[in-house]
Amino acid sequence: MNNLELPTEKTAEFSSVDESSLVVIIFDSNPGQKLLRENPHLLTHCLDSIISFSNSHLMQKSQNKLAVMACHSRKSDFIYPGPGKPLDIRQVDGQYETFTLVEKTIKQNLAKHLAGESAMLNTESLLAGAIAMALCYISRLQRTKSPAFTLNSRILVVTGSSDSASQYMNYMNVFFTAQKQNVVIDVCALDQHLSLLQQGCDITGGLYLRLPQLQGLLQYLLWVFLPEPPIRQKLVLPPPVKVDYRAACFCHREMIDIGYVCSVCLSIFCKFSPICTTCHTVFKIPALAVKSKKKKIKL
Amino acid sequence: MDEEDPKEYRWETGYEKTWEAIKEDDDGFLEASIADIIQRAKRKRQNKKEYGTKLGMMRHLYVVLDCSESMSSQDLKPTRFMCTLKLLEGFMDEFFDQNPISQIGVIIMHNKRAEKILDLAGNARKHIKLLKSLNKTSLVGEPSLQNGLEMALRSLKLLPTHASREILIIMGSLTTCDPSDINTTIESLKTDGVRCSVIGLAAEVHICKVLADKTGGVYNIILDDSHFKDLLYQQIDPPPAALGLESSLIKMGFPHQMSVEGTEEPLTMCMCHVDSADEASKLTTGGYYCPQCYSKYCELPVECRACGLTLVSAPHLARSYHHLFPAASYQEVVYEKQSEICFGCQKQFNEVDKQIFECLNCGNYFCIDCDIFVHDTLHTCPGCATNPSTFQITQTG
Ligand SMILES: [Zn+2]
Ligand SMILES: [Zn+2]
Ligand SMILES: [Zn+2]
Ligand SMILES: [Zn+2]
Ligand SMILES: [Zn+2]
Repeated sequence: MNNLELPTEKTAEFSSVDESSLVVIIFDSNPGQKLLRENPHLLTHCLDSIISFSNSHLMQKSQNKLAVMACHSRKSDFIYPGPGKPLDIRQVDGQYETFTLVEKTIKQNLAKHLAGESAMLNTESLLAGAIAMALCYISRLQRTKSPAFTLNSRILVVTGSSDSASQYMNYMNVFFTAQKQNVVIDVCALDQHLSLLQQGCDITGGLYLRLPQLQGLLQYLLWVFLPEPPIRQKLVLPPPVKVDYRAACFCHREMIDIGYVCSVCLSIFCKFSPICTTCHTVFKIPALAVKSKKKKIKL
Repeated sequence: MDEEDPKEYRWETGYEKTWEAIKEDDDGFLEASIADIIQRAKRKRQNKKEYGTKLGMMRHLYVVLDCSESMSSQDLKPTRFMCTLKLLEGFMDEFFDQNPISQIGVIIMHNKRAEKILDLAGNARKHIKLLKSLNKTSLVGEPSLQNGLEMALRSLKLLPTHASREILIIMGSLTTCDPSDINTTIESLKTDGVRCSVIGLAAEVHICKVLADKTGGVYNIILDDSHFKDLLYQQIDPPPAALGLESSLIKMGFPHQMSVEGTEEPLTMCMCHVDSADEASKLTTGGYYCPQCYSKYCELPVECRACGLTLVSAPHLARSYHHLFPAASYQEVVYEKQSEICFGCQKQFNEVDKQIFECLNCGNYFCIDCDIFVHDTLHTCPGCATNPSTFQITQTG
């Protein structure tokens, strides 16, 4: 890596006293993820990497802020700072107190969060909802901070689940909101490729990375996701992948190039049909469609 | 104009204009009650939004702007006209953000004449550029409402039957100078299903009220600049579909970048800049290809110049889904320790929170700031979206 030639003034700019950054990490804790079903020990491995990443973020600047959320198919919780009073921590082994606090709080709250969730359930993790909560949280910090202070916010999603079209609208709503509020969404995919979340990264200016090997999780987190977005342009990071923005038809959830859009509700269909299944509007049949589908449609 | 004491002048007209509204709310200061009026109207609109309302999503809107002498009045700062242009800039951006496959045209009225300065088009950048150049317009004579309406109608008439047709008039003048009976024009607007709304900058004008009433639009008089902005931005939400608006399925293309893994994309020319004077067509890699005829464009949405197919991206359409699938309504309830914290922002509730908000769908509790954030911006209830039984947004709900 030949990225050590950062101009000195630039470095100064990013480290001004009245600017700091908030990272909200959303960790997919679903025991039904393929990855965890095959090897439950990976949960600890991932968690340790996330804790180390969290501490590195806090260490970069004393004003930096951190929140960690855990999300599975039935609920999403803030596991750091978490509800209630902070834990009472005394210095252990000369470790910086905050780090101990982060680690203990995360582990304790994650255990509570996971209680009762069984690995048999292979339902999807409701990540779009967790992002919605994170955006509410960020919006409060932005509202209540002193106006002289700049807080750059980003959300990092770490997940091994696959993404599913059933959360499509929630995903789109959170992506557009993040874009409007200047919140960057980063995604670290541990297992499958996630085309919806990748669109979110593209819309909000974040980074999408599908991890080549799980063993290197911490290295990748520190290398790719720790630098703040303005600095990233100057680093040698994995090249951006082209995002597929094709539409998925509402009828079969298949990707299409050409489709039919309901003029009332903008639902997308892959074939002409006389009635919209979303809003129940009955359509006037266009001349062309009549010709080609005369036999099929009786009106 | 009463320029020696602008404060008193503003207050007086403010009082006149808010007469009806103020009456309901008899004690209270003027400033506070304006903010209140805006807030109350917002809640009322929010509660009216519901699943299953048919909306006109493919909007074709003419903004008919008064450029008569009355627009140089300084009761808005710096002038009515400048204030209007500034607000319209933000409006255009937000409008296209929320109405991705809609179009706006602009007509100005001055010196008893109407002039179309922008045909219906669907690109905010074009509109904003135009608005920036408008500040040199000479504000002269009287407006002719009839001429403005007729001009917009001529163009809107030609649109396909599934297009929602709208006119928004911004009127500073209290008079209009029309060549013939304006009631005839209003009748034909009604027949052609054109919804006309008017924002008055001064006082109520009878003919504007008739126009809005007969065509299903709204008529409002501004109280001050923030109220003006609020009234203008209300026009961003698509209106209920007009009676007689036909629905159809429209064929559209969803272009994607043509790239084969590992190969360099060829340099090609885009179709959007082929005959544009100020920006020449450039040879570039990347861009969006019409899936029907393979013409290339550098921006979406666009109507393919070669084959006529409307080209959009899926997220474009998704930007307007929230109009049709709004977040579940929240109900104001008295705080009785139902929950320690706000489900959204994690704020601890305390004595200050006399009222909190309960989601009628998922039953979680939220603070007032989250209520506003969820319904104005996010459009997804965090409680509903993290619950397996409520996360799916469907119209049947
Ligand atoms: Zn289909
Ligand atoms: Zn429909
Ligand atoms: Zn084409
Ligand atoms: Zn809240
Ligand atoms: Zn809810």
